[in-house]
Amino acid sequence: MTVGEPARQRPANKPRFYFQSAGRSVFMGDMGGYRGPSLGVLQEAGVQVGDVVELDVGGELVKGTVVPRYQYNDDSHLVIKLKSGYNVGISVSRISSVKRVSAGERPAFVSQAPKPRSDLPEVAILGTGGTIASRVDYRTGAVHPAISSEDLYSLMPELSDIAVVKPEIVLTVYSENLEPGDWQKIAEKVSEAVSRGVRGVVVTTGTDTMGYTAAALSFALRGIPVPVFVVGSQRSSDRPSSDAYLNLIGAVSMAVSADLSGVYLSMHADTSDDRLAVHRGTRVRKNHTSARDAFQSIGVDPVAFWTRSGIESIATDAPKRGKGGFVAEPRFEQDVALVKFYPSMSTASLEAMAQKGLKGLIIEGSGLGHLNRKNIPTIKRLMDSGGVVCMTTQCIWGRVDMNVYDTGRDLLSAGVIPLEDMLAETALTKLMWVLANSRSPDEAKELMLKNLVGETTERSQQSRAS
Amino acid sequence: MSLPFDPVECQVKVGIEVHQQLAAPTKLFCPCPTLKSDELPLCFERRLRPSQSELGRIDPAAVFEYNKGKANQYRLNPESACLVDADEEPPHPMSSIALQTTLIIARMMKAQVIDEVHVMRKIVIDGSNTAGFQRTSVVGLGGALSFDGKSVGVQSITVEEDSARVLGEDETYRRFALDRLGVPLVEIALDPMTGNPQDVEGAALQLGRVMRSTGRVARGLGTIRQDLNVSVMGGGVVEVKGVQKLNLVAKVVRYEATRQMGMLKISEEIRKRGVNEVVCKTLDITKVFSSPSSVIIKKIVEGGGRVICVSADGVAGLLGFEPYPGIRLGKELAEIARTNSLGGVIHSDEFRKQKVTEAEEAELRALMSVSKDAALVLIAGPESRISVVGVLVTERLKAATAGVPRETRAATDDGETKYMRPRPGAARMYPETDIPEIVITTDMLTKVDQLVPLPWDERVAGYVKEYGLSQELALQLYDSGQAQLFERLAHELKLDRSVIASVLVEVPARVAREGITEERITPELLESVARSLDSGAFAKEAAFDVLKLLASGEAGSIGDALERLGIRTMTDDELDRLVSSVVERNRQLIAEKGDRAFSVLMGEVMKVARGRVDGGKVSAAIRREMGQVSKGQ
Repeated sequence: MTVGEPARQRPANKPRFYFQSAGRSVFMGDMGGYRGPSLGVLQEAGVQVGDVVELDVGGELVKGTVVPRYQYNDDSHLVIKLKSGYNVGISVSRISSVKRVSAGERPAFVSQAPKPRSDLPEVAILGTGGTIASRVDYRTGAVHPAISSEDLYSLMPELSDIAVVKPEIVLTVYSENLEPGDWQKIAEKVSEAVSRGVRGVVVTTGTDTMGYTAAALSFALRGIPVPVFVVGSQRSSDRPSSDAYLNLIGAVSMAVSADLSGVYLSMHADTSDDRLAVHRGTRVRKNHTSARDAFQSIGVDPVAFWTRSGIESIATDAPKRGKGGFVAEPRFEQDVALVKFYPSMSTASLEAMAQKGLKGLIIEGSGLGHLNRKNIPTIKRLMDSGGVVCMTTQCIWGRVDMNVYDTGRDLLSAGVIPLEDMLAETALTKLMWVLANSRSPDEAKELMLKNLVGETTERSQQSRAS
Repeated sequence: MSLPFDPVECQVKVGIEVHQQLAAPTKLFCPCPTLKSDELPLCFERRLRPSQSELGRIDPAAVFEYNKGKANQYRLNPESACLVDADEEPPHPMSSIALQTTLIIARMMKAQVIDEVHVMRKIVIDGSNTAGFQRTSVVGLGGALSFDGKSVGVQSITVEEDSARVLGEDETYRRFALDRLGVPLVEIALDPMTGNPQDVEGAALQLGRVMRSTGRVARGLGTIRQDLNVSVMGGGVVEVKGVQKLNLVAKVVRYEATRQMGMLKISEEIRKRGVNEVVCKTLDITKVFSSPSSVIIKKIVEGGGRVICVSADGVAGLLGFEPYPGIRLGKELAEIARTNSLGGVIHSDEFRKQKVTEAEEAELRALMSVSKDAALVLIAGPESRISVVGVLVTERLKAATAGVPRETRAATDDGETKYMRPRPGAARMYPETDIPEIVITTDMLTKVDQLVPLPWDERVAGYVKEYGLSQELALQLYDSGQAQLFERLAHELKLDRSVIASVLVEVPARVAREGITEERITPELLESVARSLDSGAFAKEAAFDVLKLLASGEAGSIGDALERLGIRTMTDDELDRLVSSVVERNRQLIAEKGDRAFSVLMGEVMKVARGRVDGGKVSAAIRREMGQVSKGQ
């Protein structure tokens, strides 16, 4: 199946199986992941995945449906789903005979999705790979991501009272595999939607690099007159407890009614299911591997909160909806690196970058923006060959100030650009964007120092909690 | 309430399903300890999304409930619940100890062990699992349980997580505690058994015995839950959940079988009337049923509630009809209402009794356009609840022609059953992809087989033979779970083996009957009592009092207990002097009664000496003294 095909057009006679793992889909192929001896046993008996079989296992009869096998498992077991619903793995060596009892039933999914009212505003939903909504076929255990608007309305009937949603698959990748070229694609799609006249845009993505995506889009979509909400789910959407539902319904809701413009990241505010936090796209970071409230605004309060009663506490300085006349600037320069300094870091890695002629470098320095001074000559060399080098801090909170200590001053004299309290991850996306959208290193430096879309603050907040 | 029960007539079939908590050091999928927390300082709330049906539909009522209905409130103590329990972190690999215990049980029951164990997610959205599913996996299929010379087949042996503890419910929340969530359970489902209820109880007892003999299951109230799937000939299968005490199993089977026979009799009566299908209608009658004479209804309506009326053609008189004492279709309807937080229902067979007048009844019948042959059921309560109850009551009335509808019932403390909820359809399960599949290797099985304990009857015979215990005491020892401790002490102490066994088994049982919870009578406590007894600090007759004081917390140590009891061991001299004086006092009696005076003397001496000297020693001293006296005379 190629990416982007609407569900209806998939060939009806070839069942495709997906295996869901923590919100990710792994394409199985026609024989459901079986290979070697296990595949041999199935083929010999003329059995396809999905068929009902009766196995003779050491004298005992086991009857059930053959279900797909996860590709990372061995090739010597058959997986059968019993009538009780349980899956069991049976060693091929113990199977004396396989009898095909009946063909597998084709999934009889009949979409009975409610239709949205025609007077509702349109919201674009751009998918990049995280499955924000999915459906489980309990007969086989397969998890099917929602692809079409029908799928979405069927899984989330609430949406039909909120907006006319137009889901579009832009990409299907794990978010750690996203590249700057992908951010560009997404930005272009957002721009297309805006020119169509949508009320707002929702971008769904995997959560690993969601912070980077939100930051990148913030720069590429400067001046956008409507809000863009980047959302995902920490707990896979196939489970009843998933945060996906509130996150998506909240995002679509706000895309319709929030008086905001710009790029935001919106996820659960805490572990409970009652509130979403809306974070500025340039000041948000993933601070937990798995919790619902992993994403936190750093150094600022979230721009707003949303509950089922609506949006609340919108920050007064948040940009409001605009009129139009916006042009996306979607290009990014890929040849930029982000390096986290650590004690004992050898000069070799920076040397290699200088040799290659790296165009930009973000250093995640220690403390107020420092690194081992033996690296300073290399950094000078990098800048002499035209590279732009900027300093952020690995402390996450607080701002760099390179005037306080010698190391900082030397780095400043060398030409390193201090980035105030900009997050390292945001700085990476900003430098990539700046280098693609400026005409000279000087102009680049100027842009890096200028607060464009709220990526730096002037006044530091008292508390670290967000 | 003892109902008539005819095993031949009803041919009752019972499938036992037992859930037993394991005595594992950690939960099944995380390293949290398996303890019950008294304090639950932290709290969060969640909603669980309704799932789609096979055809891809989500029930709109369920979606409404998700957004506007009750939320689930989870309370936890960090000592017994972590992020995995809060569904904020993926599960850790399955506890190998829990898996091993389950494999031991599977081997003991001669089940076929699955080659590759797959953990499944079983959808549960009543709030008792934070993720919206229970992790469960089949480890063994088939096998048999032998008991009392009979045998019943095993369907499956499963290891799974226990659910969160229910704390209560109010208008806004269903509340749960997370300490219990994730505790490993082994579930054993037996094949349906036909026969008499005593057999069912015997099988359940034996099942418990088999699991306890591993020494790796938890003990105490609430650690084992028994469910029974009961059906009589001609009826559907009813699931009876939560039979807590073993000695209620036979009672519950009898009650439920008779109840089901009652339902079949009712359906017979319906058919006799020529009614093949019960036609029902529902109408909201709040506005028209103004100023009802029934105080109950009046109060509800004045409080903002509504009243609906469900009519059922052709069944007038059959709601109050009692085929057996206390068994009525009307009672079933009332139970349905009660489990949905209403007070009950008022049906036409008891209208007069419930103060609904003839005139009002006539008005209702006219409104509903039904004749006197129809039964009417009034359901009053908050608007949000009565329509759900109306639907359930309608379904139940329609099912009355079939006789026994499939449903889930709860066992009560007095061995009866009451309606809990409609029986769900096939379980929704799909793979738990966060846990890799577990291949059961021959190495694992070899180790498991080394840990399989002897069959219980061989074990018991062994105690009789090796330690000279009586059959009864040996069986009690086996059932008590203190066998290992017993064997250790039998080799270390000088005490008579029967005395040790008594201290570990009989004495604690007596103490427990005094109302002291089993949890307080720890093996450590028992061991200290045995050792103290061995050292001669007191006599065996005092063991009960000593243990009682220690277990209740009134005494902090054995010394403390002995002081409170005024027990100081008696020296041989003291004993002789005591016996002499008692015998001296009773010379006349001895002269008159001779040997028969012994019991009187024994009583008098033991009043002082009890607990301080071994009773056998006392009786020997008295006999000696008596002998002296008769010689002397």
